[in-house]
Amino acid sequence: MERRSILQKSAAGLALLGVSALPFGLASFLTPERARAERNYLRPPGALKDDANFITACIGCGLCGEVCPPRCIKFHTRDGGTQVNTPYIDPTEKACILCDKCMDVCPTNALTKVARTKIDMGIARIDRTACFPWVDRGVCGACVTVCPLGKQGITFDFANIYRPVIKNGCVGCGLCVEVCPHPSKPIWIVDRSEAVAARRKG
Amino acid sequence: MQSSNPFFLWRHLNKLRWIVLSAVFAMLVLLPLLHVYQTFVAAHAYDLLAPSEKQLYDVMEAISAPFVGDPARDLDAIKGTTWSGTFWGLKVSDPLAPLGQMAASLSVYWPFILTALIPVLFTVVLGRFFCGWICPATLLYELNSNFAAWLRWAGLKTGNHIFDKRIKYGVLGLGLVGSALTGSVLVAAVYPPAIVGREIYYVLALSGFGAGAVFFLGTMLFDLLVARRGFCRYLCPGGALYSLLGRYRLLRIRRIVETCNDCAKCNVVCEFGLDPLRDGFGQECNNCTACMAVCPVDAMTFTLRFTDISAQGPGHQGRQFQRDQDSEQKEAA
Repeated sequence: MERRSILQKSAAGLALLGVSALPFGLASFLTPERARAERNYLRPPGALKDDANFITACIGCGLCGEVCPPRCIKFHTRDGGTQVNTPYIDPTEKACILCDKCMDVCPTNALTKVARTKIDMGIARIDRTACFPWVDRGVCGACVTVCPLGKQGITFDFANIYRPVIKNGCVGCGLCVEVCPHPSKPIWIVDRSEAVAARRKG
Repeated sequence: MQSSNPFFLWRHLNKLRWIVLSAVFAMLVLLPLLHVYQTFVAAHAYDLLAPSEKQLYDVMEAISAPFVGDPARDLDAIKGTTWSGTFWGLKVSDPLAPLGQMAASLSVYWPFILTALIPVLFTVVLGRFFCGWICPATLLYELNSNFAAWLRWAGLKTGNHIFDKRIKYGVLGLGLVGSALTGSVLVAAVYPPAIVGREIYYVLALSGFGAGAVFFLGTMLFDLLVARRGFCRYLCPGGALYSLLGRYRLLRIRRIVETCNDCAKCNVVCEFGLDPLRDGFGQECNNCTACMAVCPVDAMTFTLRFTDISAQGPGHQGRQFQRDQDSEQKEAA
């Protein structure tokens, strides 16, 4: 009798543990394999640089998304494992307009207020084998026109005034990715350290 | 000794509580819709909206126009959920949020901890009032309890197991340890008020319900099939924190033993499975005042003390008390 009640209790405890692990289990189970590998998701502006630190600091309150005027901040609702409920920006869908509202409203240190030119969401990179002007398939300049930072972020190439070139002042807001008319998005946002390493390589 | 009756409005506080709960819930529904409206305003895109979006725009404009001049800016005054929100620049967070974040990051960020100051102060005085008066999950859970009562009335069996109330303190501890181990605020994912606010936002302003909605439905089923209000009573980590903070609360409910007739309706109505009939309130009482509302003889009132009064014995209008009196008189005779 004693043993039976202990068995029952431990079975109930295990069931309880299973239920509490349900959100994370579901989240990691439902994430498609492709989405895990290829996504070009950005954290909102002012986010802690190390993503692990960002996840520990974010409490998943959703305030940053709730003040975002273009509604570009989305959340890992059903995916992402430990980063469930944390915010991200998918610049191919809707990019950040650098309005600073999310940094103001975040109650934690996950997003901290920084000056507009000091924001570091990444840096844009152009695939010169696909971008229309770079392969001489017409004139475009959409990314240069839309950049909120102007000449600090992106300019035209000196030799060919329709070819865009990224400058070091780019903060990675992703507006250029959003407007890029090329279906394969030859302009996208990479981590700044990655870009520096790539440039050193040549 | 004739003790005074409680203030006549106390027994109507339960209605006020339902109004407050409904208002908080309505706010959580309204804020995401207002946010969507704000984004339409910011985009100057009325002519480009779909007919259903235009409808939303018009309704939200009609609701908010009397209160704001510039919707894109002025509607930012109230944002967020009961988990964390801002009111005219004042940031207020659930005390569990800083605690969970501290555990996850193993560091202290004071500006965030101070946002929980106001709720903590209120809890120290009023006890676990958040659970009964504000929590958006409580509204759904109490409706669920009423649904269970209908099911019982229809002859179906609903769960009524009793567990140890201290389990929730274990859940709180386990959640904090788990947060520290995973480096993610784990308690936020298993805390119903945070889930409810968040999921309403997800479904109204973003692409749809998240994984938390499944968990929340699970807790509803647990309440229905295993134990009445089981999650709040036995498992809620936030409830555990509020109970600990409110252990020496100042405002308590007290039974007036002179007018009590031992009908035990208070014990039946108590959502938290407490024992008001024998003066057993303890730190779990959330001052929801349901026992005051249901008491047929107005034997429940408020009192200002730091501890519960010890058991006062059977009510003086009840049969047990009369029997005791009679036997005492016989012994004396």
